[in-house]
Amino acid sequence: MPLVNAQIKRGSAELAVLALLAERPLHGYEIAKQIEAQTGGVLRFDMASLYPMLHRLERKSWVKAEWQTLPNGRRRRCYRLTASGRKQIAPLRAEWRAFFQALQSVTGFQNA
Amino acid sequence: MPDWKQIVHKNLRALGVCSPEFTEELAGHLEDSYEALLREGVPAEVAFHRTMRQIKGRRRDWLELNFVKEELMTGLTRMNGFIRKVALPGLLTTAASALVSWVLIRVGIWPKVILMPNREFQMFLALSPWWWGMLPFCGVLGALLSRRNGGSRLQCIAAATAPGTVIGAILLLEFPLGFIYQGLVNHQWDFNLLEALGLFLLSFSVIPAAFLLLGAGVSEVSAKKFDRIAQ
Repeated sequence: MPLVNAQIKRGSAELAVLALLAERPLHGYEIAKQIEAQTGGVLRFDMASLYPMLHRLERKSWVKAEWQTLPNGRRRRCYRLTASGRKQIAPLRAEWRAFFQALQSVTGFQNA
Repeated sequence: MPDWKQIVHKNLRALGVCSPEFTEELAGHLEDSYEALLREGVPAEVAFHRTMRQIKGRRRDWLELNFVKEELMTGLTRMNGFIRKVALPGLLTTAASALVSWVLIRVGIWPKVILMPNREFQMFLALSPWWWGMLPFCGVLGALLSRRNGGSRLQCIAAATAPGTVIGAILLLEFPLGFIYQGLVNHQWDFNLLEALGLFLLSFSVIPAAFLLLGAGVSEVSAKKFDRIAQ
């Protein structure tokens, strides 16, 4: 079922990014690295999926991007969560919880 | 240090078409990846090739496809917003004002034409008090539809005053062209045309737009009152 697979991937990726940005603003590379580090390498973003998704979140006004000059003088596009984006986290978490519970009742697996 | 911006620009042509911002953003990502590999002790050449893998082959195709798709969606969203918030309500206002004008003429209420005296060719000011009097209602219709579709105050005003704006734009385009044509073909620069343009603009654009704007204002005030009651 490639459609469901794609939707699950997209939904989980959006929640992961929003949850991460809830802590502090980050630029694309930092987002990818932090998600990889925090999930022990289980979740990995490549550029092809990360940046189009960030731009999609920006279009939905869930995140806001602005160019920032880092201490080393380089410009990076930093993403921060908007008030509207913050509101999305709780319902998304609830959706995922319901999803895992449903899956658990069918397959008997335990989620951590 | 490789010039990542140049590399992205060269390799991701589709992104260059979309936006130079994407190019810079992706170049920054590649630069960070490359430097992280160098810090891990990977030799420069290997680090370069590993970094380049992110934008080569199928990954490049995916990246371009995803970005172009996102750009397209953004464009469609913007266009949909304009159509729903300005174009359709503006069309409704225009249709309503044209209908009112048609009905008035059908029942025999014609605009009062005031001829300007002492002119070489006939110049007139058309006064349509009945039509003007009905225009605020047309303006209210457009503004309400725009507001219902999530239009901002400016978009509501644009939708409500659409007929006046459109006629004004047509006149402003048509008259200068006529003026230039006369000058070039007949070698006669007729400045009376400018005066005629002023009178036409007043009769068919400025005054109607003012009445339509009145409708937008009424709609704005009543919507605010409704919001206050709802709270």
